[in-house]
Amino acid sequence: MSAAGEHNEKPARRGKPEAVILFWVANQMFAIAAESVQEIRSTDSLAGSANEIEQQAVPKVRHTLEWGRRLCYVVNAGVHFDLPVTRPTLVLIVRRMRIAVLVDRIDRMAEIPAMYPLPRAFGGEERRWYRGLAYIDDTVIPVVEPSGFLSAEELTVLDHAMKLVASQREMEGAVQA
Amino acid sequence: MIAAGNSSRNSFVLLRIGAHRFALPAALIAELAPPVKLHTFPHTSHSVSGVIIRRRRIVPVYDAGSLLLAKNASGQQFYLVVRRAGGASELSAIPVSGECEMATGETQPPEDDRPAYVAGTLAIGEDTVDVLDLEALITSAPATIAESIRGEARS
Repeated sequence: MSAAGEHNEKPARRGKPEAVILFWVANQMFAIAAESVQEIRSTDSLAGSANEIEQQAVPKVRHTLEWGRRLCYVVNAGVHFDLPVTRPTLVLIVRRMRIAVLVDRIDRMAEIPAMYPLPRAFGGEERRWYRGLAYIDDTVIPVVEPSGFLSAEELTVLDHAMKLVASQREMEGAVQA
Repeated sequence: MIAAGNSSRNSFVLLRIGAHRFALPAALIAELAPPVKLHTFPHTSHSVSGVIIRRRRIVPVYDAGSLLLAKNASGQQFYLVVRRAGGASELSAIPVSGECEMATGETQPPEDDRPAYVAGTLAIGEDTVDVLDLEALITSAPATIAESIRGEARS
């Protein structure tokens, strides 16, 4: 056993360098692989392409976004991670997924020398939320797993809710006609 | 840390969490770490408070205060870095005050009504100290443990 004084140490490097986007939600910084983000837009610029979901099937999703030929579900990252309520200003549109993520602000792009596995002590939902941990500027930052923002079950629930809304609108249209 | 006896295969580290003293087998202890930065991020694992960086590794910190006492134990500024039982290469840490002691002695088996996280008892002078089974502690429900501690205080 040793009683060592504090000294500046970094975790041993493992894995490959990776470009990430560092972003903030409330008082917490996260990283996401740059290659998994298709586009970053301000929430103001999406006024025409976002639609509010009337049914609160999944509380963290209150809007859909039509992006190209995709219908994306907009996940409020603050609600997802159970962080204090904020007013998000940006939306990250995730590549090849039906997911967009509301965040507060982008910090910067960075290259992480390696990603470290989440210790096994973490056994909850975070195992689905994070790909691992990064160590940047003496801070441990979780690297999010984009698919972890919406589970397959949540996507099914949202798809079902959207179908209900569509059929309701069809019926209302038929009644008016 | 104060050495209060010879190191042997029955060596223990006595630590104070809140008002209670507990013992851990010395063989499990890797290091008494200074008050380094606790890194936190959102998660749902009730017994974990964050991670620290020690020996170039990311070490999870178990909140033993809230596990054992159902509250954050104030004044726990140091970290006892512990090797996980079963040969797991992962280290874990628990916050402790700097007042850890070494002690030697024979453990007695726990009484039947003792909670699962008590691996035995150790006689230190006129006191009897519970020897913690860290694996059992971190897999126990915090409410159950806290109730057990409160029950001991009442009896």
